[in-house]
Amino acid sequence: MATVQLHHVTKQFGDVTAVHDFSLEIDDGEFLVLVGPSGCGKSTLLRVVAGLEEVTSGEIYIDDRLVNHVAPKDRDVAMVFQNYALYPHMNVYDNLAFGLRMRRVARDEIDRRVRQAAEILGLADLLRRRPAQLSGGQRQRVALGRAIVREPKVFLMDEPLSNLDAKLRVEMRTELARLHQRLRVTTIYVTHDQTEAMTMGSRIVVMKDGRIQQVASPLELYEQPANLFVAGFIGSPPMNFVRGTLEPRDGDLWFAAAGISIRVPGALAGATAGLGGHPIVLGVRPEDILVDPERVRVLPDHRVEALVEVVEPLGADAFVHLLAGEQRLTARVPGRVKVRVGDRLTVAPDPDRIHLFDPATEQALSRAATSP
Amino acid sequence: MGLVSQPAPYGRPAPGRQATPHAGSTTPPPAAGRGTPSPAARPLPGRRLRPAVILRHTLAWLVGLLWIVPFLGILMSALRPQAELIHGWWQLGQVTISAENFVRAWNHPTAPMGEGIRNSLLVVVPSTVLPLLIASLAAYGFLRSRARVRTPLFALIILLLAVPQQMVAIPLFRILRDLGFINSYAGLVVTHTAWALPWMIMFLRNYFATLPREVEEAALLDGAGRLQIFWHVILPLSLPGLASAAALQLTWAWNDFFMALILLYEPTRLVATQRIPLLRGQYHVDWGILTAASVLTIAVPILVFALLQRYYVRGLIGWTLK
Amino acid sequence: MDLRGARARLWADPLLLAVPALFLILVLIVYPALQTLGLSFLSKDGAFVGLKNFADVLSDPETLNLARFPAHTPPWGSLVHNAIWILLHLPLTVAIGLGLAILLRDVRGSAILRSIIFLGMVTPMIVGGVIIRFLFDENAGIVNAFLRLAGLQALARSWTAYPDTALLSLILGSVWLWSGFAMVLYSAGLSTIPRDYYEAASVDGASPLQQFWYITVPSLRPVTSVVVAMTILWDLKIFDLVYTATLGGPGGSSMVLALQMYFYGFRALRFNTAAAVATVLSLFTLVVGIAFIRSSRREE
Repeated sequence: MATVQLHHVTKQFGDVTAVHDFSLEIDDGEFLVLVGPSGCGKSTLLRVVAGLEEVTSGEIYIDDRLVNHVAPKDRDVAMVFQNYALYPHMNVYDNLAFGLRMRRVARDEIDRRVRQAAEILGLADLLRRRPAQLSGGQRQRVALGRAIVREPKVFLMDEPLSNLDAKLRVEMRTELARLHQRLRVTTIYVTHDQTEAMTMGSRIVVMKDGRIQQVASPLELYEQPANLFVAGFIGSPPMNFVRGTLEPRDGDLWFAAAGISIRVPGALAGATAGLGGHPIVLGVRPEDILVDPERVRVLPDHRVEALVEVVEPLGADAFVHLLAGEQRLTARVPGRVKVRVGDRLTVAPDPDRIHLFDPATEQALSRAATSP
Repeated sequence: MGLVSQPAPYGRPAPGRQATPHAGSTTPPPAAGRGTPSPAARPLPGRRLRPAVILRHTLAWLVGLLWIVPFLGILMSALRPQAELIHGWWQLGQVTISAENFVRAWNHPTAPMGEGIRNSLLVVVPSTVLPLLIASLAAYGFLRSRARVRTPLFALIILLLAVPQQMVAIPLFRILRDLGFINSYAGLVVTHTAWALPWMIMFLRNYFATLPREVEEAALLDGAGRLQIFWHVILPLSLPGLASAAALQLTWAWNDFFMALILLYEPTRLVATQRIPLLRGQYHVDWGILTAASVLTIAVPILVFALLQRYYVRGLIGWTLK
Repeated sequence: MDLRGARARLWADPLLLAVPALFLILVLIVYPALQTLGLSFLSKDGAFVGLKNFADVLSDPETLNLARFPAHTPPWGSLVHNAIWILLHLPLTVAIGLGLAILLRDVRGSAILRSIIFLGMVTPMIVGGVIIRFLFDENAGIVNAFLRLAGLQALARSWTAYPDTALLSLILGSVWLWSGFAMVLYSAGLSTIPRDYYEAASVDGASPLQQFWYITVPSLRPVTSVVVAMTILWDLKIFDLVYTATLGGPGGSSMVLALQMYFYGFRALRFNTAAAVATVLSLFTLVVGIAFIRSSRREE
């Protein structure tokens, strides 16, 4: 068990900067998720921590020990690869045992640890099989097992579930979470899948173009995205964005775009003060667009007239695609709400959950302490 | 060719193939033999056997016959007594199969082939194992090296592929003579080894490059050093590539004549290929002995080819086409 | 990056694994080759004579006998013989190799036929020489039996024993032996061309000949450059085949550079002349090798 600290880590490949001035401290026993689109540098960062790549500048500490020039094998980290990287010519037992043999662990101890890991992962009956004779899920478990038996200080997981089919992925997600509860090993988990990130991480780092966009708990990321990128990346379907301008009217600021006019709620008044006439981006999550007439009625300053273009029923919920003025919005409504294509609705973005972004900096305008 | 391992159906048209033609296949097929790659020229199941297809098969098998005739010739000549061959080996009036020529060649008074085959084996086995080991190490080193010198060094190695053996013959003879390695198998083995290294390094480097990088990285994190990764991961995963390299080197070392010619001249030490020219009489050619010796000498590479055919051909393709 | 780290990395570089190989290559190939190069500029007594050995070799009728070429029968000199070998052998190899690859593509039993044709590649060239002699022998040779059958009595004789036919019979024999190489490579090349290309082309109305010309030939260009380079190199290095079939004779009429070098160096013990021949030969092979490497770089 260990802490991992990254101080101003930069990694360049020729002219390309894959990781840019990355600083982060990872606590002992934490499950940290790195998430971002492909090419954002998250895998490179993981490989840098593993020692498979050398940093261009910056320092990496594992348990307060500088490991920049420490060989991968001496860093006491274990990695689970996206394509599992099992040794194809060895059976499951030998795959699990290889790392221990290389470290000259006693034979009895190897056997004990391999069997224990196999027990935990449900591989006990497969120990004599070769990777080619295993299903995708089983290979995945072997890859995990290979990391577990080592009892390393840190687990590094590089998109470990992305080669599994959807159903298995959900199962393994739970299983990984359970495993972490049990072993409490510091884990850095890389994924491009925001659902995976949200469900698994105790803390999430959102990356883009080699830079940290936001570090926060899943809920905080969702409720208070720091910028346009995070707001758009986290959440499915994504947050609705509407470009408009801030207009002063009757002593208040109003957000105005073609066909939409909304009063800026009090919680954002502080952040928007003096921005009258400025362009602005309004963001609202699909579930925060209210369609219930009872609730819309009490929000006279936030009403938006909209035409229902498409309805996608999902059972518990339905996605309603709306045309408001020239803006397309997606609303998430309870499945029982009766909405039909062609209906004209009056909807309202929940003023407590409106996000505003500066289009120039793409940063979110911060919200004052939650309004009543 | 009973030796050729790959089973393949013969060109006899099965009656079941004469099923109804496909709808829309009314256009005549392009002429076969001109090598039209059109799918229409393939004898697809359920397609009428067309003259073009028959023509193509006839031509192909005639070519095959043409190519095998020379081999048949030496085989027949080796297997039949001299008396039967006066009017040519293709005369099949009376065919007696006898091992007489083989026995005579095997125990020839001045250049016994038996001894030659034995000597060749003594040379060829280490001449295959040694470069395989040395070249695979080097190939892995080149693949994973980040040192700047690797590029010019590798270029030099590729360039050496073009150098003819004649370019090293005289100094090589002198070096090995000064080291007491003339007339010694060790000298010839070392020479074969060195000579095999450039192409093997190139071939195996390219082969290793196709292995999944992550497996190696996993081993690195598992605590394996470079040599351990090489031994426990790279080599076991490269067995097909190693088999290809071994098959090629085995035949090339066996077939070598020039290096043996300059490095071995003690009569009892000559390898098989060296003895064949000695069996050729000055004025009268004893075709029985000469062809029997040829068949004996060719048997080993053919056996290697038959056993390792897949690897052999893949190796040749892989080596030249990358 | 501190110096210690850099040095440690240098010592840990995997290229160290190549040291045994590099040592053998340097001692047994590079060093002797450079020595041969050096020898070619020296006289028998070790004095520097510049290009004299080369001048001697090139003015020797054994190398270049332009007085007889092409009006008279060979010998024309080893250089000319090697050149003729390439000139005849190369186009035949490409044409036959490609032709066989295409012919055998959709034939049942093609695996067997390919193996038969490939046997020549497996055959020791020393045996190849025996077979050529055997094929063209006046009485034992089947070629002459066919010629008699065709009424060409005048041509029926031991081809390898006459100056006007020795070289030709060797070249024909080398075609038989070497075609398997080109065929196997072209077969591999053909199998990498996607069928869709042809299907798309025939939908577009391309005739089979047009398909061959506009799809097959361009797609096989990399293969062709390998076949061409390897064939030229093989033709330049040809030795064993000639050694058993004719020993360069009769009267030098089938002498080739590699064999000539052997005679100079190991029979006449004229080391410096032999070194000059070897250097000339290497010059040719290196030109071919470098041209090939450059062409394959371009294609990548």
